[in-house]
Amino acid sequence: MKDPADFRDVPGFPDRAEASDSAARLERSYRRRLACYPRAWRRGNEEEILAVLMACAAKEQRRPGLAASADLLKGALRMWLRPRPARPGTVRAAVALMCAGAVLELGVVLTVMVSAGSVRASVLRHDPGLTTAQWHAIVVHLTVDEIGGPIVALLWLWLAWANSRGHDWARPAFMAFFAFITVGVLIALGEGAAVYAPADMIAAAVLWCVGLAAMTLIFTPRAGQFYRPEANRPEPAQR
Amino acid sequence: MQEATFLILTALASGAQHGYGIIADVREISAGRVKLRAGTLYTALDRLRTDGLIAVDREEIVDNRLRRYYTLTPAGGQLLAAEAARMQANARAALTRLSPLGVLT
Repeated sequence: MKDPADFRDVPGFPDRAEASDSAARLERSYRRRLACYPRAWRRGNEEEILAVLMACAAKEQRRPGLAASADLLKGALRMWLRPRPARPGTVRAAVALMCAGAVLELGVVLTVMVSAGSVRASVLRHDPGLTTAQWHAIVVHLTVDEIGGPIVALLWLWLAWANSRGHDWARPAFMAFFAFITVGVLIALGEGAAVYAPADMIAAAVLWCVGLAAMTLIFTPRAGQFYRPEANRPEPAQR
Repeated sequence: MQEATFLILTALASGAQHGYGIIADVREISAGRVKLRAGTLYTALDRLRTDGLIAVDREEIVDNRLRRYYTLTPAGGQLLAAEAARMQANARAALTRLSPLGVLT
C-alpha cells in the first residue's frame, strides 16, 4: 500500500517546483470545498481529511475532480444534518439552572430597584455621618446593579446556550462567570450589604447557589464526555 | 448495515489504520469494486465513532500532515461479527437453493 507522503516523491516528476505549485493549488481548492463543513468538525478533522485527499490525488493534479467535489459537498451536507449527540442529564439540568439564573438575575434587579429607597434609608440610619463621596459611591453602586443586572441575565442565557451546544469553551467561560459573581457577592458582603440590603443579599446568595450547582453539574465525568468526545485522544507523534 | 460501513469495519478488524489506509484496504477487500472517496469515508468514520464502534488509536504527524489511526472497539467487533454471520447464513441459504439449478460456477 502507498503512503500519502510517498506521492510527493514519485520518481520521474519533471519539475519539483511545478509539482509543488500544483500541490499547493490543489490543497487550496480542497480547503475551499472543505469550508462547506461545519466549523467545529473542520477544527478537528480538516487537516486529516486534507492529507487523505492529497494522497488520493493524481500526479500533477491541480484541481479536485467533479466526483470528489460532489462527494465532499454531500459529506458536508450530512455533517450539517447529522443528529447532535444526546445531552447527558447533568448538562440538561445545568442548562435549566442557567436559564433559571437568568430569570433570578432579573429578580435581583427588581429587588434592587424596589428596595433602593429602603437601602438608602438603612445606610443613613446605620451610618448618619456618611461623607458626600461615600453617599455618591452607594448611589452609583445601586445604579450599576440596576443597569448591569439585565446584561448579567443575558450572560446567563448565552452561557446556557453555549453549554447546551457542548462548546469546549463553554465550561471555562462559565467557571470565569461564576468566579465573577462570587467576587461580586464577596464585595457586597464586605460593603455590609447583609446589613443595609438584606433582601438584595439573599437574592444574590440564591443566585450564587444556582451558579455553584450548575458548575458542579457541568464538571461531572459524564458531562465531560459531552464537551470533549475526543478527550482521551493522545497527542500526535512527530515522524 | 451499508456495504461501505461493513467494509470499513472489516478493514479495521486487522488492526488500526489511517484514512488513506482504509480507502486502500477497502478497495483491496472488495477486489476493486468499492472505491471510497474521502467525503464518504469521513462521514462514515464520524458516525461510527459517535456510535462507539470505532475509536481513535493514535495520531502522527507525517511530512507535516496529520495522520489519525482508527481502531475497532469491542462493540464494533461484535457488530461486525454478527453482521458477517448473518451474511454468511444468507449466502449459504442462497447457495443451497441455487445448487440444484446448476447455475453455480
